[in-house]
Amino acid sequence: MDIIELRQVTKNFGSLTAVDDLDLKVPMGTIYGFIGPNGSGKTTTIRMIMNILYPDQGTILLFGTRQRNQRLDHVGYLPEERGLYKKMKVYDVLKFHGELKNGKNLKQEITYWLRKFDLTAWTDKKVEALSKGMAQKLQFIATVIDRPQVIILDEPFSGLDPVNSEILRETLLELQKSGATIIFSTHDMNMAEKMCDYIFMIHKGKKVLDGTLNDIQNQYGSDTIRIQTELGAGALEELKGIEKISDFGQVQEIRLNTQADSQTILAEIMKKSRVLRFEITRPSLHDIFIRIAAPERKEDNHA
Amino acid sequence: MIFLYALQLPKERRTTMRKILIIALREYRAAVKTKSFIVGLILVPVLMGGSMAAFMIFKDNVDTDDLKIAVIDHSQLVREALQERARLRNETEIFDKENGEKIKPAYILEFIQPDSINPFQQKLDLSNRVRSGELHAFVEIGPSILHPDSIQENTMIRYYSEHAFMDDVRYWFSDPVNNHIRQLRLNEMDLAPEETRDLFYWINVEGMGLVEVNKKTGDMQEAEKTNELQSFLVPYFMVLLMFMLVMMSAIPLLTAVMEEKMERIAEVLLASVTPFQFMLGKILGSISISLTIAAIYVAGAILTVHQMDMGDMIPYRILPWFFAFLILFVIMTGSVMAALGSACNDNKDAQNLQFPAMLPVILPLFILVPVMQNPTGNLSTWLSLFPPFTPTLMLVRLATPVTIPAWQPYAGLIVVVLFTILSVWIGGRIFRTGILLQGQKPTLANLISYALKG
Repeated sequence: MDIIELRQVTKNFGSLTAVDDLDLKVPMGTIYGFIGPNGSGKTTTIRMIMNILYPDQGTILLFGTRQRNQRLDHVGYLPEERGLYKKMKVYDVLKFHGELKNGKNLKQEITYWLRKFDLTAWTDKKVEALSKGMAQKLQFIATVIDRPQVIILDEPFSGLDPVNSEILRETLLELQKSGATIIFSTHDMNMAEKMCDYIFMIHKGKKVLDGTLNDIQNQYGSDTIRIQTELGAGALEELKGIEKISDFGQVQEIRLNTQADSQTILAEIMKKSRVLRFEITRPSLHDIFIRIAAPERKEDNHA
Repeated sequence: MIFLYALQLPKERRTTMRKILIIALREYRAAVKTKSFIVGLILVPVLMGGSMAAFMIFKDNVDTDDLKIAVIDHSQLVREALQERARLRNETEIFDKENGEKIKPAYILEFIQPDSINPFQQKLDLSNRVRSGELHAFVEIGPSILHPDSIQENTMIRYYSEHAFMDDVRYWFSDPVNNHIRQLRLNEMDLAPEETRDLFYWINVEGMGLVEVNKKTGDMQEAEKTNELQSFLVPYFMVLLMFMLVMMSAIPLLTAVMEEKMERIAEVLLASVTPFQFMLGKILGSISISLTIAAIYVAGAILTVHQMDMGDMIPYRILPWFFAFLILFVIMTGSVMAALGSACNDNKDAQNLQFPAMLPVILPLFILVPVMQNPTGNLSTWLSLFPPFTPTLMLVRLATPVTIPAWQPYAGLIVVVLFTILSVWIGGRIFRTGILLQGQKPTLANLISYALKG
């Protein structure tokens, strides 16, 4: 069952079309990653799902119905820019948000989540006393305090240190295991690759990718070679059949032309340097993102 | 009451009501738990009581340095009379009767021979003496005060000082001069004092209410004497209390909503509640805050007035009107303030809008006195039926001892209820759009556009 469905949804802001004729289906129990450059329409899409913005055209179904107001009680939402009452105490903030969502066993839930995110000592402190990272964790707890069936997170990992990012990642996977459907937008392609069952990319208001990572990578085929040589990027100079080289220092990634033969290229490189590693692979999500979002900004085009 | 009502509603409406109440409760707690609220609650009556006490303490505590006043008596008739009255005053009125302490200044009169050649130079010299502080003032008594002639200046008493308008000494001169010349006129007519006693008996007009029938006994009831204190103090107190409550509860919504918008709290909440529920919750919070303060102050005022044995002054019949109009006034003003706050992007926007938005609350205060003086006049009636002014002006009209037509408060109530519904509806439409829009200035055109498009 699709827990969220968008049918031909369009949203304009004046003359700007922020979301253009968008179709999307989010199956129940999955983790769906929203990716896209800044200003591509991710937040607008999320806000429309949350009924904060109204689409100019199209239909949005939540739990299979257009009557979303009541259903929104089962959706937790973490906006891109965090907003908490600074003068409220941590416990009161969580109780307030839990009550608004008609959450059950709030006292136990608050204790559980504060302990999980190492905020127990801050229970009676005011929000203004928290660091930015702590406030972000608190905002996340407020989002899930009522154990919603759907969790929508706009850039949940931004601003978190690696330890807290890891805690958040584990928590999201736990919530998914307990039956929640999770949507999150991110610029961290690595996190999206590792966590998401489905990835949706929006660019200039239009859907450009939608599917599992495997499906998306299959669309692009095995046109990428990951190579490590003793000469480094110098071994790749003046090679034919290469569309792009991305130099990561120790390792280089080569995108091949459609007619290029990987074995011919390997032979050419071996004439110049010892090859320590040679891997024919599919493009990473990061690479796919850049191919779509910035085709004009080729970092190192040797084609 | 609200909770009982909420229980009877279908589930969807119950959820809506519950969310509004949760927002309202948060608003209420956030306001009443602050130190500034408690300090303000105590400080207002303390300041009001303190200023009244200070007035009582200092009203007789004037500068007791003797005042020297020069008198140019062109009539040559009142010198002795003035000297005698000044002597009498200085001996009997300027000392506290209990402890003999001097509490008022003595008046020292210096009679100056009129300069018939250069009278202006004489007055300039005296003026300079006043300026230098040697004299407090000087008085010029016209030559024809006994038998006024056609030249008005000749029959006047002129008081020259730096602050003649507010100077008590000026009023003191009138009595001895007029009494004395009146006596001189009687003497000329050769009338005995006992014959003239009735001639100068002054009769005051006593202010009375209207005769009415006692509703319980059916007996006719004598009209009551008009109490000046009651006529002015009660309406003033009630209107000022209402003004203060609106200022403390509804007006702050403008900046509160603006801050919630700018700090993105609104977006978080809008994932849980609709904009309309959010706005109504905030307004309900404001009503609770104003009712709390009103209950404390009204109860305090009733207790204080009873302690002072002036319980008759309390207009119990008006209290339900007071609370009804207060609630509507807070909703009306609150919805406008919340809507404007939602359209603001920074403090500057809020400051620019605050004053014009407060005008409907402030303006009735400027026309309070004419309405109190003539509560049944056409101007008072029509202004009190103009919805933004109704809560204040209808209350004033109800609080004065004058009986206004019985239908008018009800008509005012209906008009205000309708206007409040309109305010909430328009406010809600502006709020819904404004709360999420960033970077748009809250111009009149934008506000109208939000209201129309919703």
